[in-house]
Amino acid sequence: MSMRSYLVLCLAVSAAVCLAVLFVPGVSETVERLVLGFLSRNAR
Amino acid sequence: MKPLRIVLQVLGLAVLVPVVALATLRIEHRNADGPSILFPGGALVSGPLHTGPEPDWSFTDQVGTVELQLTDPVSSRRVWIMAADGRIFVPSGYMTSLLGRLWKHWAFQADQGDGLAVVRIDGTRYPRRLVRIHNDPVLDAIAAKMAHKYGAPLTRADVEAGNTWIFELAPREG
Repeated sequence: MSMRSYLVLCLAVSAAVCLAVLFVPGVSETVERLVLGFLSRNAR
Repeated sequence: MKPLRIVLQVLGLAVLVPVVALATLRIEHRNADGPSILFPGGALVSGPLHTGPEPDWSFTDQVGTVELQLTDPVSSRRVWIMAADGRIFVPSGYMTSLLGRLWKHWAFQADQGDGLAVVRIDGTRYPRRLVRIHNDPVLDAIAAKMAHKYGAPLTRADVEAGNTWIFELAPREG
C-alpha cells in the first residue's frame, strides 16, 4: 500500500472510530471498561 | 522490505484505533455535567444544592461511587466514598506509581490548592472542602470500611507512606 493510500486509510479509520465512540450505543462504555480493567491490573 | 512495511502499517493502525477512541472520549467528557467511569467531566451543575445541617452520612454506605468536582481547576471524577465517625472520606490510590501520578491529578491539585470541592451523591450536590488526612485515629475505621465496602485492603502504613491518600470531605467554613 502506498503511503498516500495508507494515510487516507488512517484518516478514514480515525473518523469511523470517532463516530462509533460518539454515536453507537455501548461503544464508549466498552472502551472505558477495557481501559479501566487494564489500569486496575497494571497500576502498581 | 515489503513485509516489514506491511507489519509497520498494521501496527500503526493498531495503535491509532485506541488512541483516537480515548482522545474522543476525553474530549467528549471534558465539559460534561459530571464524569464518566474513567474520564473526568466538567462542573457538576444539575441536582439540588444541599444547605442546612450536616446530614447523617451513613446513607453513603449504600452508594458505590460519588462524583467529585474540584473548584480549581473545574473538573470532576468518580471516586469511592467511606463514611466513618460521622465524617466522609474519599481515597486516591496508586499515588506512588507512575500510572497513579498520571491518573490522579485531582489528588495533587486538591492537596496543593484550596481543596474547595462539590460532591454529588445520589443527585444532590454538597459543597465541601478536601482535607488530606495524614495521621488520624479515624484511619483505622476508614480502612475497615474500605475493606468491607469495596474489598480493597488498606492499612494505616499505606496512608502514612503516601501510597494511598485519604481526603476528608469536610464542611466548608462560613
